Amino acid sequence: MRAPHHTNESDSHGIDLAPMLDFVLNLLIFFIITTSFVKESGIVVARPEADTAEHKESGNILISIRENGDVWMDRRQVDLREVRGIIERMHVERPEDSVVVIADKASKAGVVAQVMDEVRVGGIKDVALGATSTASE
Amino acid sequence: MLDFVLNLLIFFIITAVFVKESGMELNRPSGAADQVAEGGGSIPILVLEDGGVIVDGRPTDLRAVQANINRLHAVNPNKGVLVIADQDAQTGVVAAVVDQVRLGGIYNITFSTSS
Repeated sequence: MRAPHHTNESDSHGIDLAPMLDFVLNLLIFFIITTSFVKESGIVVARPEADTAEHKESGNILISIRENGDVWMDRRQVDLREVRGIIERMHVERPEDSVVVIADKASKAGVVAQVMDEVRVGGIKDVALGATSTASE
Repeated sequence: MLDFVLNLLIFFIITAVFVKESGMELNRPSGAADQVAEGGGSIPILVLEDGGVIVDGRPTDLRAVQANINRLHAVNPNKGVLVIADQDAQTGVVAAVVDQVRLGGIYNITFSTSS
């Protein structure tokens, strides 16, 4: 609130920087946290729909499988045999991470099974099959 | 303080948008041996390459899976479900079957493929 005796705009002492600095710092912290938490796969696939799909708070390593069998994780396409090494590394960094395998509706079940096996061998036992929740909330 | 609260609000809105991963828990058979030895046994569901579904040995429509599972779950509540998909079966069908089984009341689902 401006004091009543200030009639001229130029009388003010300039913008108070403290709240903005606060805000920017918060934003910075936020982005640092999100980048380290959610490991996006890098592509969008047509996910299957399910009534019973539940939101997984901890599912933060995403592996996408495309229609043609391409595997994407960590924002790049990876070979099926690379998955294990990457998962091992991520598991060491953050042992509480869990994996969500997001497979295209038209992808082959065999590839999904292989990816899930690689993840298990890599040390993460908590694997879920990604699906879009269709249940009315 | 208002500033801080507003920041907090923005933070939660953004995280709510970010954390939206939804999925269904699936087990994998840890080895060929203990797959059979699981307590109580399990109800086998086969998913064929052409999208056909066989529940407990009987060809079943996808929409009838839930009812079948309901019945089998009532008979023996300890049983889990073993979904055996063909290598070339579509993931969409597998996901639909898993969904139906969960709707039927069984959440202990193991996902396996037949070679």
